[in-house]
Amino acid sequence: MDAILQKIKADIMSRPFVSVLILVTIIASSALLTLALATLMNISVPYDKSFEHLNGAHLWLQFDRDRILRRDIKQIEALPGVVESTGVQYSVPVRIRIGDTRTQVSLRLMPAEMPAVNRLLIQEGRYLLPHEKEMLGSRELHDIYKLAVGDTIGVTRGDGKQIDMEVIGLAYNAMWDTYRSSELPYLYATEETLRSLYPDDTTWEWSLGLRLADPNAVDQIVAEIEGLLHKDALKEYTDWRNVRESAVFEAQLNSVFLGAFGLFAVLATILVIASSISSSVLSQFKQIGVLKAVGFTGSQILLLYMGQYFVLGVIGAPIGLAIGIALSPLPLKSIAASLSTTFEPPIQVGFIALVLGIITGVVALATFGSAHRGAQANIVKAIATGAESPQKKPFWGVRLAERLGLPMPLVMGINDVFVRPLRSFMTGLNLTLGVIGIIFGLTLNQTLETYRDNPYLLGIVYDAVVTSNTLGYRTTQHRLQNAPGVEALYSEVLVDAETPEGETFEIRAVEGELAAFPFIITEGQLIQEDTYEALAGQGLLDWLRIEVGDQITLILDEKEARPTTWLIVGRYTETANAGQMLMVNQAVVRKLLPDVEPHTYYLRLRPDVDKAALKYYLEPRENADLSIAFTGEAIPSSVIYLQWAIFSLAGILIIIALVNVFNTSLMAMQEKVKTIGVLKTLGMTPGQVVIMANTTAGFMGLVALVLGIPLGFLLTRSILDVLATTYGFGEVNVTINALYIVLLIPLMILISIAGSTIPGQQAARLSIVKVLRNE
Amino acid sequence: MTSLVEIKDVKKAYQMGDVTFEALKGVCLEIEAGDFVAVMGPSGSGKSTLLHLVGGLDRPTSGSIKVSDHALETMNETALAKFRREHIGFIFQFFNLIDNLTIQANIELPALLMDQKDRKAIRETSQTLLEKLNIADQAHKYPWELSGGQQQRVAIARALINRPTLLLGDEPTGNLDSRSGEDVLAILGSFHQAGQTILMVTHDARAAARARYVLFIRDGLLVDQMAGGDARQIAERLADLG
Repeated sequence: MDAILQKIKADIMSRPFVSVLILVTIIASSALLTLALATLMNISVPYDKSFEHLNGAHLWLQFDRDRILRRDIKQIEALPGVVESTGVQYSVPVRIRIGDTRTQVSLRLMPAEMPAVNRLLIQEGRYLLPHEKEMLGSRELHDIYKLAVGDTIGVTRGDGKQIDMEVIGLAYNAMWDTYRSSELPYLYATEETLRSLYPDDTTWEWSLGLRLADPNAVDQIVAEIEGLLHKDALKEYTDWRNVRESAVFEAQLNSVFLGAFGLFAVLATILVIASSISSSVLSQFKQIGVLKAVGFTGSQILLLYMGQYFVLGVIGAPIGLAIGIALSPLPLKSIAASLSTTFEPPIQVGFIALVLGIITGVVALATFGSAHRGAQANIVKAIATGAESPQKKPFWGVRLAERLGLPMPLVMGINDVFVRPLRSFMTGLNLTLGVIGIIFGLTLNQTLETYRDNPYLLGIVYDAVVTSNTLGYRTTQHRLQNAPGVEALYSEVLVDAETPEGETFEIRAVEGELAAFPFIITEGQLIQEDTYEALAGQGLLDWLRIEVGDQITLILDEKEARPTTWLIVGRYTETANAGQMLMVNQAVVRKLLPDVEPHTYYLRLRPDVDKAALKYYLEPRENADLSIAFTGEAIPSSVIYLQWAIFSLAGILIIIALVNVFNTSLMAMQEKVKTIGVLKTLGMTPGQVVIMANTTAGFMGLVALVLGIPLGFLLTRSILDVLATTYGFGEVNVTINALYIVLLIPLMILISIAGSTIPGQQAARLSIVKVLRNE
Repeated sequence: MTSLVEIKDVKKAYQMGDVTFEALKGVCLEIEAGDFVAVMGPSGSGKSTLLHLVGGLDRPTSGSIKVSDHALETMNETALAKFRREHIGFIFQFFNLIDNLTIQANIELPALLMDQKDRKAIRETSQTLLEKLNIADQAHKYPWELSGGQQQRVAIARALINRPTLLLGDEPTGNLDSRSGEDVLAILGSFHQAGQTILMVTHDARAAARARYVLFIRDGLLVDQMAGGDARQIAERLADLG
């Protein structure tokens, strides 16, 4: 055993450069794997941390004010599964003005002291002070309307008058669900302020937050509550798990890509290690013969090579693990920061063991094949020839290159690719992974650019949205039709719907010049007027397992409305609520729910529209009845961040590929020292030796391009399709810029050449005499 | 006759750790064009070093070597490579053919490394050599499919493809059975008859006997020389050298 250990140490120390390169590759893979696993396994940690810190409510109940009594609340709070309660929470839907924008919010009463359950997380400014006429804004108002501490907002009072109030802080509420687009953002005030604005507290809405003994028993508790209360007293409820899911949505997307790249990195490591070890074993073939001749058994040779790389694995894996752990807060940084918390990955024994196990296992696996081959070597042959027989018959491509009259160094270079086909395959595959990574990034980038240039493709079919505050439907319609620059419009009202099975979702009831808007109908056709026809988002079809052509029975808005059956005539691109929405005819909905009146209008504008003039026409004064918002950037900043993350990861894959090209070229040159000696003897110049090495690597780079470009494109399309389907977006039109491909070709060849030049130069400097003396 | 090779006071020392080993200690030699010279000596005497220096594979520590009017000690690596491909043909003991190239491709390899090449002329030359060496039917085979003797014929053809001014042989029969060795020597003899200059290092007295004269080297110095022809006398002289 001592002899083996001594030899392992000597082998590692005698090839310091190669050993360091393999070590670097192992470290990079271990770090990427750690990063991907840490993100995947801890994706909800920032939310969970904030939730626990704020003592968040697991269940948020909203009641019908007319059907609930205080004793009902007491009964709910006394249920065995309920641990703590917020007590009745009061709120009023209020119209406010933030700068030029008008919107509706839920103005919520907050006690003088921060409540014990579902506390607010003050992210900026301070909490409300008693007796002060001031407001605390929610983070959503900052995200959507850029509301900042110190801003003044106009709040419409119960009597219709508007008064200005200062925003003294911004807060995060762990139970505000971003998933439901119809949920109003929150604004908070003291009881005194709320009473001064809306003195009639019988109009205040009631809600209640509960902490449960078993956070996963939400459905059971809701059933118990419904059993206790008057029918329909519970209007709706929010399950903390849904809020959590919404909160980690962005991080989920990041983790999908990180996971994919982590897998790539591990695969790249297998390839690097396998090809390096294979080359290393082959280049030491003579030594293996000598070792066996002096008494090493086959299993000792196996142990020797396994040991060499296992040592590197044992050193590299923990270093990469430490780097990965240090970097792991980054992917979750934005979500943690948005929750005013930090993310420190938990250093768990199981997690550490998993990463170390995978990396050392991969190293052992990659070593075994080559080491086993070395162990089986015939002693006489190994000592006599000093090399395992190469693939002798040349590839047809070599003959073709000869026939084409390519210079001899190029022919010899191509020939070398096929001398060790397995090793070349592994290096080529590694380069291909790099190309796939780049194409992945480029395709995603180009696709996003396309969508940014044309938001219609995203399903954002309008140029502006108008919300009416007090104006009636017909008046609003008339004013919009006469507004300057408006080409077409349709109105929309969101209605809650429930299936007989109890699944609830939202319906867009629309009316107007629908044909003038470029709705993306991916299947079927647009709805006809005055029919029970419906368009469904992909998410809804997937969720309810229905198809275009099916009928769906729904109870709209109020439970006393009679169930209606709708025919799904098409599928459209729906960007909200994960595609779990239905679009129907508004006139038909009005027949069922006569009180329904639209407050949202979507406009298609003429290309030469004067937006300022249009805005002035609709909002001539401070307290105008209409407010308009123009379609802004279609691509969220988080996706742009993701693009950069993908490019960075593609860069890491390329570096790994470069290391592999370098390693393979170096090993190949060491292995064919004798051949190079002979070629130099025959008159091959140092420059021609370098060209030969470059050609071998360049050829593999070229093959990697041929394979990597279509594979990368297909992979991107598959991943985006899966994501689009998962999030109910429908089909994604994946595009790539041909110029990128054209630029990628020389880049990859350059990378291959760069990786092989130093080994080529080393070979070029080889002493012929030394080679010949070693015969 | 003019001197094709002029070696003046050439010394070659190798550094092996702290120890300096002098392989050649001041060799002077002239070889005329069209000559056939054999170099003999015990192992480690410096004969291969001499061959390597003349072939431009290595540089002398001191002294000068001129081959075909090229002062080798003044040339850089690239110039030496071009010199080798244009002026020198090498034949090795272990043939050193490229395994995954066909026989014909092996033969044509040095010619195809040239900057200016006429592929048709190269093919014609290789075909002529294949026929002359009686291996034309092996042209499309691979080295491992040939016997040792046949492989050495291929090596000779490869060495001659660029019509070198000097053919260098490093134990060309050392890895062959006696019959194959005789065949190879006969071939070398016939090329010499046709005007080829040959410098051959060998341990084999019978091989050396084919040369016009034989040089004896010991401890890095040329110590004697004699005419070729009589293998027994050559063997005795070699034995005297120890």
